[in-house]
Amino acid sequence: MTTMVVNNHLEREKMVSSIAMVMTLVSFSMLFATLMLGYVAYRFTAEVWPPLGMQRASLGLPTISTVIILMSSFSYFLSENSFLQGKLKAFRAYYFFTLMLGLAFMVSQLFLWKNLKLIGIYVDSTVFGSIIYAFTWIHAAHVVGGILALLFLIPSIRGTRDGGKSQIWLQNVGQFWHFLGIIWVIIYFGIFVF
Amino acid sequence: MAFYEQHIHPKPTTFLSKYIFSFDHKVIGKQFLWYGILFLFVGGLMALMIRWTLAYPGQPFPVIGSFLFPETGGAVPPDTYAMLFTMHGTIMIFYAITPILIGAFGNFCIPLMLGARDMAFPLLNMLSFHVAVISGLLLMGSLFTPLGAAAGGWTSYPTLSTLIGSPGVGQTLWSLAIFVLGVSSTMGAVNYITTIITLRAPGMGYFDMPLTIWGLGLTAVLNAIFLPVLGAGVLLLIFDRVFGTTFFLAGAAATTGTGDPVLFQHVFWIFGHPEVYILILPAWGIVSDLLSFFARKPAFGAKATALAMTSITILSTLVYGHHMFTTQMSPLLTQTFMTLTMTISIPSAIFFTNWLGTIWKGSIRFHSPMLFSLGVVFVFGLGGLTGLYLGTVTTDLYLHDTYFVVGHFHYTMAASVLLGGFAATYFWMPKMFGTLMNEFWAKIHFWITMLGLNGVFFGMMLVGYGGMHRRIYNPFIYEFTQKLIPINTFTTWSAIIMGFAQIIFVINFVHAVFFKKEKASDNPWEVGTLEWTIPSPAPHYNFKDIPVVKCGPHELGNPNVIGKDFQYQTEELA
Repeated sequence: MTTMVVNNHLEREKMVSSIAMVMTLVSFSMLFATLMLGYVAYRFTAEVWPPLGMQRASLGLPTISTVIILMSSFSYFLSENSFLQGKLKAFRAYYFFTLMLGLAFMVSQLFLWKNLKLIGIYVDSTVFGSIIYAFTWIHAAHVVGGILALLFLIPSIRGTRDGGKSQIWLQNVGQFWHFLGIIWVIIYFGIFVF
Repeated sequence: MAFYEQHIHPKPTTFLSKYIFSFDHKVIGKQFLWYGILFLFVGGLMALMIRWTLAYPGQPFPVIGSFLFPETGGAVPPDTYAMLFTMHGTIMIFYAITPILIGAFGNFCIPLMLGARDMAFPLLNMLSFHVAVISGLLLMGSLFTPLGAAAGGWTSYPTLSTLIGSPGVGQTLWSLAIFVLGVSSTMGAVNYITTIITLRAPGMGYFDMPLTIWGLGLTAVLNAIFLPVLGAGVLLLIFDRVFGTTFFLAGAAATTGTGDPVLFQHVFWIFGHPEVYILILPAWGIVSDLLSFFARKPAFGAKATALAMTSITILSTLVYGHHMFTTQMSPLLTQTFMTLTMTISIPSAIFFTNWLGTIWKGSIRFHSPMLFSLGVVFVFGLGGLTGLYLGTVTTDLYLHDTYFVVGHFHYTMAASVLLGGFAATYFWMPKMFGTLMNEFWAKIHFWITMLGLNGVFFGMMLVGYGGMHRRIYNPFIYEFTQKLIPINTFTTWSAIIMGFAQIIFVINFVHAVFFKKEKASDNPWEVGTLEWTIPSPAPHYNFKDIPVVKCGPHELGNPNVIGKDFQYQTEELA
């Protein structure tokens, strides 16, 4: 009988939501892990990569995307920290910076897709093109979800949500946002660099 | 870990808030139950059409055939036959078993048996049902598209499922429906896991939970981990079909740069093997509890049963290759997968022996839930043992893709889960709807179902052993299958009898839900788990005061208890 009773409302909300967030991230990880598994299978059974003498995508745009998404993660970290230290002005500034970087990431992806077309990598031209497009699409769809999740923080920005609750929201949205960054870095190194 | 008390929400008053947009886990459970029963009917009707075609190919399907297939005078055409077995499998697995066992009884039982007022996330719970409805609409809509519904089998292997094999929009809708349903089930799984970790009543350790909750919890873990794997697979399949990607197109990857159809099989079965345990684990849990409740004995080795189910959950993730022995796998791999598959026998034998140990020398009450539970013990025994021949490489090479496989997985997934679902429905009826179903007709329903079901699935294994392949339209055109016609006819008539027996259930169920005046008592089965300490049907707040748990769920037949042969979980162990 090792049960302890948690009466603190916030304490329990924090516990419940963090358990659920871990399970949710496990689910999302499995989705991306399956995609990467497929990529590894194609990559290691192919004799030449990219196949059919296709040229690789240039590293420029993907690298810019990587820098943007890493900066947004860092900015989110600073935003959350400023909130915890009670520096509300910095909190707001970093939050908007994060949001802008999120949008900038989407723009960089649009340029990436445009650029791929210019150098002759289409979605239906071999599994090489299919992988680049499909993986970046799926990741981008999740980033759109992440940006929507950031919008759910607006009540915390405007100060209409109480502090403890805001802290829980910041933590959970943050976990998802950082997760998307990690996935992008894996895609960047796995597909574009190697 | 920890427990907290949820607030009592005000009682919903309008029709919409009560029945459509309800946050109440009990209402959501009932929604899933009706949803599942509806699809069970659709899937069952499809099964009868399949069976009719196998016994009487080219002959019109009775009564509704001429209405459904006017161009052939009522006989099922070959292309429709492929759609029928595809949709039958899909509907039964994802839209009947999953909603009934996991959606309905998962939702209904978890908070009640844990002593909680609701799930941890009621809104998520509601959304999970509504997303499942969208998925159901997508799937049913695919039946009315120009080229018909998906016809690549429930496994939807490429190239059957790529644009080459099925050019119609039906297969795309199928993939989309499965993806959306995956989202719904994952939402449910996150909710179940969080609820089980955080909302157990004070005093309830993990081993004080009923085994039903163990089964449902392990299922939720598998769902949360492996549904996204299928999600990724069908997502890429959708991309192949809609955007022209080349993931699963056939061809040598290095020279032509196209994809690999076998990769989908890997992805499918990495999900697919855990999926069969997703389907069966809740039924195992329910049966483990019910055997103890109706044998009036503590569950024999309850802790070992729980741990055996846990080890099966873990092992189930490591054996998927046994579905693919005939895909030119390296012998090293086939033998590895065979060995790992065989190790599942050990925990299976442990909990199976525990079931027998539970009923051994018990004073058994043969009420309808018990009859169905004993039915599960029998059919699961048969299904499990025939699995050994399919897990062994040498015998599988002969039996692969024959009706033996069909018979085997129907015994394990269909028969066990169906009987387990019926046991649960009869058992929790008073707590769900406040009335008991008619016992006499329940027993008639059991015996006809049991005989019909064994006729169907044993007949399948016989013709499969005789060499009949699955998914063929007309077994009469091959010389070696012509000898099997009498068994096929027998199987079909068994199926028809089993199908008609369900009318008894439907009438009994509808009568008990809507028309029966006589109310059930709070604890008609005399068992001690938490849901039986509250009134029947369960009030919207479940527990007025959160119960404090002092003993395990199976304290029956204790000689120290005076006046009754069971004790509630809220009572100090005598």
